Amino acid sequence: MKAIALYWGLPLLALLLLPLWIKSPYALHIFILLFIGIATGESWNVIGGFAGQYSVGHSAYYGLGAYGAFILLQYRHVAPWFGVWVAVAIGGAIAVLIGSITFRLRGPYFVLASIAVAEIIRLAALNWKDLTNGAEGILASDLPPLQLGTYLITDWSSKLPYYYMGLAMALFCVGVNFAVKKSKLGYYLMAIREDQDAAHSLGIPLTTYKNAALVISAACTALAGSFAAFYIGFIEPQQVFGIDVSVQLVLIAIIGGIGTVTGPLIGAVVLVLLSEALRSNLIAEGLFKLGLSQTSAAGAFLKENLAHAHVLIYGILVIVVILYMPEGFVGFISARLRRKAAAK
Amino acid sequence: MTAPLLEVRNVSRFFGGVKANLDVSFSVEPGIVLGLIGPNGAGKTTLFNCITGFFPPSRGEIFFEGKRIDGLSPDQVCRLGMARTWQKVRPLARLTVLDNAVVGALLRTGSVRKARELAHQQLRIVGLEAKESALAGALPIGERKKLELARVLATQPRMILLDEVMGGLNARESEDLIGLILDVKKRGLTQVVIEHDMKAIVRTCDRIVVLNSGEKLAEGSPQEIVNDPRVMAAYLGDSTGAKQ
Repeated sequence: MKAIALYWGLPLLALLLLPLWIKSPYALHIFILLFIGIATGESWNVIGGFAGQYSVGHSAYYGLGAYGAFILLQYRHVAPWFGVWVAVAIGGAIAVLIGSITFRLRGPYFVLASIAVAEIIRLAALNWKDLTNGAEGILASDLPPLQLGTYLITDWSSKLPYYYMGLAMALFCVGVNFAVKKSKLGYYLMAIREDQDAAHSLGIPLTTYKNAALVISAACTALAGSFAAFYIGFIEPQQVFGIDVSVQLVLIAIIGGIGTVTGPLIGAVVLVLLSEALRSNLIAEGLFKLGLSQTSAAGAFLKENLAHAHVLIYGILVIVVILYMPEGFVGFISARLRRKAAAK
Repeated sequence: MTAPLLEVRNVSRFFGGVKANLDVSFSVEPGIVLGLIGPNGAGKTTLFNCITGFFPPSRGEIFFEGKRIDGLSPDQVCRLGMARTWQKVRPLARLTVLDNAVVGALLRTGSVRKARELAHQQLRIVGLEAKESALAGALPIGERKKLELARVLATQPRMILLDEVMGGLNARESEDLIGLILDVKKRGLTQVVIEHDMKAIVRTCDRIVVLNSGEKLAEGSPQEIVNDPRVMAAYLGDSTGAKQ
């Protein structure tokens, strides 16, 4: 218990105090992206990691959260801190519907069905122009300031409120994973993941429990989606409903280690930092500092192309992880520790 | 005569044109061990699958404690108090031995702590308490079979169906499992066991049902069955005897 409090408490304290020292908006921006990554990865982990149902259609819930809260603000003038919860409820409700259809299928068929459903919702968002403004997307109007009575908490003009809300959201999603893992639900989901027939024969109603996991996962994903939408201030169908959103949050969990609470945390750190380093060309600049000539053929090529290659490098990373660390970083490290302990 | 705990009435199961079970009837009184034997492909496992809800019989009825259960799903059957093991063991490989049993125990409680206590007890009964923290996938076959048994016991059933728990075991391990079956019987649990090892069957069973080509060939006490020429013929492939 003490060790757990230490492992989780110290980094948390550091994150709470961090903005006292770090004022750079760019640094805070990276942390906010990290929190969104953690929240989505942990959300997916409930259905993909614990229950072993590899949904590659979670952009549906991410986008529903984003569009739900945005549309409520734009057309109904519902303030985000109420609208978000409505959007979360919508995400959960749609999940029941999607789950009761797709959970009839097992294995790869379930994966394909989850992609298909997300694509249907993306196309609906693209074409239902009265509601969604189609491909042009929606630009958020100015957010109403957050007040407690007459006391102004924030007017959203800096990144700081987003930092703390993002941190709270990431913590919430981590907490949900802990709660699931320690509960009857968690045991049943893991049993379903390991062997559906065995689970069924031990008295587990498969569809009920899979749906429960999907609803939790979808609601958390919708929360992250609406937070991300308000942070960025603009949404369009491809950006929130696109398959790359689904893939991104699956990758966070797989690279970190699925079925563990810490896995998506580590996966988010690796992927967010990597993609940011690639986007801002940090890696090429680092190579130049190490002595690679900018004018050499290789140097010029890297400077020109590395920033665009971030999907390619993602892909290579995933292949490396799947080949050499099939249980993700966390599984890889804990297997090593176990072997070390056994050798003693 | 006491009312039967399980009653199978005229059950048939077809797969396309294949008759896996044809018009099978028998009943199981509370507290007994019933042996279900027959050559490979006789339809023993199919019958288990029909009884436990993995697929409904094509024809016929199944009653458990007087309640009709054919057509129920496997989880509903298990909740009523009838649990099964698998011929090809199905450990929850990446969970620990203890957690495997906890999954079974959670059927009757929402509390993980209570389920753990119950799981401990069952693992002690089958003699796996020293292996509680090992991963189930890392166990050798003999211990996997014991884990299957502990897991179904943890669901607190009235009746268990054991599908070849001694298949693939060496003599000493088989001896362990014979002891366990008798031990479980002493606790008042009703059992139906599919087994190939006739010595084990004779030692554990009160009554035996013989299946051949999906049909019931004979039923009786172990002595009657071993002395029945039709049973011998079915096993040795003498078609004149088997077809009566």
